[in-house]
Amino acid sequence: MNDIVTAIRTVPLEHYVMLSFVLFSIGMAGAMFRRNTIIVLMCLELMFNSVNLLLTAFSAHHGDPGGQVFVFFIMLVAAAEVTVGLAIVVMMKRNVDSVDINQLNRMRG
Amino acid sequence: MSAIILLSILGVVLLYMGLGNNKRLLAPVGILGLAGAGALSFLDRRPLPAWGHGAMAFDDLSVAFCVAMAGITLLLFVFGSDYYSRTQENVAEHYALLVFSLTGAFLLTSYQNLLMLFLGIEVLSIPLYILAGGKKRSYRSSEAGFKYFLLGSFATAFFLMGIALVYGMAGSFDLKIIGDYATANAEHPAALFLVGMFFIAVGLGFKVAAVPFHFWSPDVYEGAPTIITAFMSTVVKMGSFAAVYRLIGVHITALPLAVERTLWAITILTLLIGNLIALRQSHFKRLMAYSSIAHTGFLLMAVLSGDALAGRALFYYTLTYALATVGLFVVFTLAKRAANGDEHIRIFRGMFKSKPWLAAATLIMLLSLAGIPPTAGFLAKYQVFVLAVQNGYVWATLFAAVMAVLGIYYYLKVIRETFTPNEEGAVLQLNATNTAVIAVCGIGALLLGVWPMGLI
Repeated sequence: MNDIVTAIRTVPLEHYVMLSFVLFSIGMAGAMFRRNTIIVLMCLELMFNSVNLLLTAFSAHHGDPGGQVFVFFIMLVAAAEVTVGLAIVVMMKRNVDSVDINQLNRMRG
Repeated sequence: MSAIILLSILGVVLLYMGLGNNKRLLAPVGILGLAGAGALSFLDRRPLPAWGHGAMAFDDLSVAFCVAMAGITLLLFVFGSDYYSRTQENVAEHYALLVFSLTGAFLLTSYQNLLMLFLGIEVLSIPLYILAGGKKRSYRSSEAGFKYFLLGSFATAFFLMGIALVYGMAGSFDLKIIGDYATANAEHPAALFLVGMFFIAVGLGFKVAAVPFHFWSPDVYEGAPTIITAFMSTVVKMGSFAAVYRLIGVHITALPLAVERTLWAITILTLLIGNLIALRQSHFKRLMAYSSIAHTGFLLMAVLSGDALAGRALFYYTLTYALATVGLFVVFTLAKRAANGDEHIRIFRGMFKSKPWLAAATLIMLLSLAGIPPTAGFLAKYQVFVLAVQNGYVWATLFAAVMAVLGIYYYLKVIRETFTPNEEGAVLQLNATNTAVIAVCGIGALLLGVWPMGLI
């Protein structure tokens, strides 16, 4: 365990922060601009994972295991969310026969 | 804490009851369980222990919120016994998911570190994504569930990013340590800490439907089944405001200046946009959605006033708002049934002639939402204004007061419809359970205004 923490620490913290910001932005752009629901779900997952990376890096640099415990909770919750999300996508496919986001945007006012 | 355990077990029991053929027993068992949960959280109030190595701690305010939320959910279950009696589908899941969601709301009232806050928000939200899309064959319900899920997860990602950054700067998830860190660095906060706080504000702003993160709420309110809409606008609002207050009202009191200014801007915008757009709504559920956004503005103002008594004002406000809202949604469901599924506010027409007492209760609840004395809504708004003025936010209070006056207009629109006679149209049908719910809500909205029972 200590080897891993030391290995993580060999890379400066700023690099982790930059990398996870880049990943988060890619995920955000994808979630906002892609029209295929499955891709949007993948982009949301990318956003969650960039947070996981950041938490792990901070945790190693602080020498505090709390951050890594949090990562497990995020993984668990993300799995639960995607389960619900895919079920909703299946329901959507049954109702409008498509997984295009624009198909599900009729309410206005 | 024992209330949270009881609720988790109750949810599982309700799920298993769905396997059998005893659909009629679901609501009574749920009501018993909710009453038990409310009683347990009340009995547990002294001594107020910390749980899970300081992960959670109940204080008087969180106990009050827990009891009130259990009570409101109980009212919704009583309503649900009639609402769901007409559906052929499996309803056990709906009851169970409502209970699970309530468990998340309980966590939100008493968290002591960011991990429990995150779990509370997710346990509250994930069942709601399913419930909003609960009518499987309905297109609008699918759209509501889908939008809520997508935007909710998106906001969660921001919220998590905020937590990660705050953790990185403060070195802990514990709210006390983060609060001390914020106080120590109030003058020159680190850039990453600032960004983290902004991201957390985005995530929570989405949950409470503050402008500019409100755009999901009218669509979701419109598409979701009415009982779920009622749950979202009451219990979810109470839970998320308990969470917001605990975060920035109790623990991180020394907000960086930039964050505080942004939050005030959000509050002003919420008041303005919520009330203005509500003016031109004639679809009842959308009207309630924008009215809920407007009320979010008043509640945010109470939190940001930074007063020690803000928690009590918040509790009183959310409780009176929830009572009036639940009652109105029950009335709306009855009127909608009589009008064959129409959701325009014209369905209230002719109510005074056919059911004068029902119209009187509707009047009280609408006046309470509008904030007109002697109803409870007036005292609630008055309380918020007093807190804000006492802490030197005079201009914001003046603005909010103007918006409150503006808000009276769209509630009066509904009142006018209620008292307009209508020759044709079916008479709406009342049964005993619905009458009980409406009576409790109407009398509560009036009584709390005349005699606040030490709540303020």
